[in-house]
Amino acid sequence: MSRKVIPFVVAFVLVCLVMAVAALFSFSGLAKAEKFGASKIWSQSYNTAESMKVINLMSDDNDELFIQNANNVTIFDGGGNVLFTKDYQYPKTTLGDVNGDNREDLVVFYLGDLGYSVDTIIDGQVSTLAQSLTVGLPARVAILRFPSGPQIVLGDSGGGLQSLSLSGQPLWNYSVGGEEIRGLDDALINGQTHLAAASHDGSVVVLDEDGQKVWETDQESLRRMRAFDFNSDGNSEILTGGEFGAFVALSATDGSQIYSQGMGQAVSEIREVELNGEPSSREFVVGGKDGGVWAFSMNGGAVNQMWTGSLSDKVTEISGIDVDGDGTEEAVIGDDSGTVAVFTGDGTRNNLENHSTGITRIDVGRLNGERYVVIADYSEVQVNKVNFNSIPGFQYTPLVVGVIVSAFILIIAAILASIPKKPELKVSFQDKSKESLEAERRMLKESIADVERLRKSGEVTGDAYLARLKRLRGDLADNEAAFKTAGFPIKVETIQCPNCGGTLELGMDKCEYCGQALLS
Amino acid sequence: MELIFCGGFIVVLIVFFYLFNTARKRVNETTSLGKKQLLPVYISLADKPAAIIQGMNKLRLDVNKTEKAGDKWRWIPMLIFFAGVALMLIDVILSLLGYFSFVFTGGGVALWIAAIVMARGLRKSDSYDFSTRYNGTRDILFTLRDDLKPDSTYLGHLDLTGSLLPTKVARSANDAQGRTTEYFRDEWLALKAKLYDGSVLRVSGIQKSKKRKSYWKRSRISGKMKSKPEKFKGTAHDLKVRIVPNPEVYKISNTSAEFKQGLNIGKFTISQFSTEGGMISFVANSPFEEVEYENILQVLKSAYTLLQRKAA
Repeated sequence: MSRKVIPFVVAFVLVCLVMAVAALFSFSGLAKAEKFGASKIWSQSYNTAESMKVINLMSDDNDELFIQNANNVTIFDGGGNVLFTKDYQYPKTTLGDVNGDNREDLVVFYLGDLGYSVDTIIDGQVSTLAQSLTVGLPARVAILRFPSGPQIVLGDSGGGLQSLSLSGQPLWNYSVGGEEIRGLDDALINGQTHLAAASHDGSVVVLDEDGQKVWETDQESLRRMRAFDFNSDGNSEILTGGEFGAFVALSATDGSQIYSQGMGQAVSEIREVELNGEPSSREFVVGGKDGGVWAFSMNGGAVNQMWTGSLSDKVTEISGIDVDGDGTEEAVIGDDSGTVAVFTGDGTRNNLENHSTGITRIDVGRLNGERYVVIADYSEVQVNKVNFNSIPGFQYTPLVVGVIVSAFILIIAAILASIPKKPELKVSFQDKSKESLEAERRMLKESIADVERLRKSGEVTGDAYLARLKRLRGDLADNEAAFKTAGFPIKVETIQCPNCGGTLELGMDKCEYCGQALLS
Repeated sequence: MELIFCGGFIVVLIVFFYLFNTARKRVNETTSLGKKQLLPVYISLADKPAAIIQGMNKLRLDVNKTEKAGDKWRWIPMLIFFAGVALMLIDVILSLLGYFSFVFTGGGVALWIAAIVMARGLRKSDSYDFSTRYNGTRDILFTLRDDLKPDSTYLGHLDLTGSLLPTKVARSANDAQGRTTEYFRDEWLALKAKLYDGSVLRVSGIQKSKKRKSYWKRSRISGKMKSKPEKFKGTAHDLKVRIVPNPEVYKISNTSAEFKQGLNIGKFTISQFSTEGGMISFVANSPFEEVEYENILQVLKSAYTLLQRKAA
C-alpha cells in the first residue's frame, strides 16, 4: 500500500472509533450537564426533629409544617411563623383523620402527669384522648383504618402494643418481643388492613383488627420495618432492615421471604421513591449506617437492584422528590454529617449545600403556594427551594467533540502523508557495465584478502574481523547478483547461510557467523 | 483526590515538555562519550565520478528535503496540545458553573494522544548532521575525477556508520586492574582508482580509537561498589596509500624533498614508506580525530613527486 495512503487508512479507522465512542456517549445519555441547587427561603431553630411533615393541619386551605422532637410539637405556617407549639415528655406522633372531616389530625402519644397519655391536636386545639394507659415508654404510634373502623395503635419501648378506639377506649394489647418497637405500619392482606409491627429484637408480627396474630417471625435485630403494597395486588410486602445488614422483604400474607440481601452494614432507613416514573413498578431506596445507598425496583413480585451509591456517614433520611419536574422522583438523602445529596434515577449523585450538623428529617410540600423541600438537622429546620438546571442539547456534545478530534486526526494524517520517505542511508552507487562489475569484484576480493591479512597479523581479531568479512562477502554476493541481472556470465562464489542469512564463500562446511553446519 | 491531581499534573508536564522538545529543532545530540551524533551513512562506491557525486548530492538533498518537510509542521503538535487544553478548560468552566462534565476532557486527552503520535511521526523525519567526511570524500572524488581513466569507475566504500561500533573492535586488552580497553579500527574510506596514466591508486582512511569500558570499583572511602563510566582514551588517523605506477610511463625515485619518512604534510606525518616491488606504499599518521580532505590530497600530491616521467 502506498505510503501516502496508509496514514489516511489509519486515520479513517481512528475516526470511526472516535465517532463510535462519541455516539455511544451521546445516545446512551451518559453525557449530560445537570445540576441541582437549593436556596434557603427561611429557617427556624428546632433541634433534633424526630418527625416532620408538610400537611394541612389547621382549618384553612394551606399546608403547614408540622415538626416534633423529643420534647415538643410545633406547627409552623408557610412563612415560618409558629402557629402552634406545646411541650411534651417523650412524645411520639402520627397523622390521621381522627374526627372524620377528611383532613389529617395530629395524635400525640406521650408521658403525661397521669401516666402515658394520648392527645389529639385538631386545628390547633389540644384535647386528651386517653390517660393512665397500661403501656411503656412511647416508641411508635400509628392510626390504622381497619375494616371495622380506625384504631390508634401505640407501641412502647418494651415491645408492647396497645390499641385504642378513636374515643380513647383500650381495645386490645399485644407484646412483640421484649425490646423497643421499631416499626408500626399498615399492611394489606387480601385488601384488608392489618397491623405490621416489629421490635428491635427481630420479632415481626402481623395482627388483625382484634389484635389476633396472623403470623409472626424472628430474624436478626431490626432497625427499620416498613410495609408497602408494591404490586397493588392487595397484599403488602414488608421490608425489614437489620442491625447486621440483612435487608429482607416478606410477604404480608404469610410472612414468607420474597427477597433477602446482606448489605454489609446496618440498614438505617428504607423509603419508597418513584425513581423511574414507571407506574407498574415501584422503587425503594435503602440507606446504610456507613453511608451505603441502594436502589431497588419491585416489578411483578421480583426485587432487582437498580444502582448503588454512597454518602460519607450514616444515612439518616431518604425522601422522594420530583426536583426537575419530569414526573420521576429523585432520592434526596441526608446523612449524619450534614450532607444532603440528590440521587437521580440512574444513581448519579448531585450534592446540595451541606448542613453544619447531621440531617434528621427531609420532606417536600407546598408552603405559601410554592413547592419547597424542608430539611431538619440537629439544630434547625430549613425551608429550601430546590432547583434543577441542565444545558439543553448537551447530550450531543460528545458528537461535536468527536468531530473536532476526527478533524485533527485527518489533519495529522494529511501532514504525515505529505512528508517524504526518509532516504536509505546504505547506498550503493554501482555502474552496471561488465568492466565495472569485474573491477568491483576484484576490489572486493582484494579487500577480503586485506582483512584476512590483518587478521593474520593480529591487527583485527574476533567480531570486527567477522563483521567486516560478512559485509564484504555480502557486497560480493550483491556483485554476483548484479552480474546475473545484467545477463553477464559469472561463476558464483558465495552461498547464504540458511540459519543466519550471512554470506559465505562457496565450499565452506560451517557458517563462520552462527556455527551452522552446511551441506553444499 | 490530591494524588490524582498530582499524577495528572505530572502527566501534563511530561506531555508538554515532550511536545515542546519535539517542536524545537533537534539540537546536536551527543553519544555517551560526548561525541556528536552524526548521520550513519554507508556508501558502496563502484561507479563513475559524476554518478557518485550526483548520487551523494542527491542523498544529501533527499535527507534535507525530508527534514524540511517535517520542520514545516514542527509546532503543530504543540498547537494540538493547546487545543486539548482549551477543550479541557470548557469542562473546568462547566464545573465552575456547577455542572459535572468529562466530555471535553476526554476530547482533550484524545487530542493529546494525537499530538504525541504526530510528534513521533515528525521526529522520524529528523536527521542528524552529515559528517564532514561525507563532503570531504565527495570533494576528493571530485578533485580526482579528471585523473581517472576514461570509462573507469571508483571502487571502494565510504563508511560513516560510526567509529566506535562493536563490530569495529579490532582487539581488546585487560590491564592489571582487570579493566578492559577496546581498540577500534574503522576503515571509513577505501578507494581504488585506475588513473589516466595507467597507474592504480589505492587509498584507505583508517581511524584508530581506544575506549576503556565501564567497570565496577569499590570505593576506598565508603567501601561501596561504584560503576565507573566508559572513557574515551584517544584517537588517531592512518592514511594508507599504495600507488602502482605504469612502468611504461614512470620510474620511481627513492627520494624526494617533498616526500620522505618523518616528513610532516598538513596534519599527517609519513611514518612508513616503501618503494619496493615497483610500487609506492606508505602510511601517514595524524593524531587528529578529523583530517580535512585537503590534507589527504596534499599527501597524495606529495607522493606523486616520487614519480618521474620517462622520456618518450
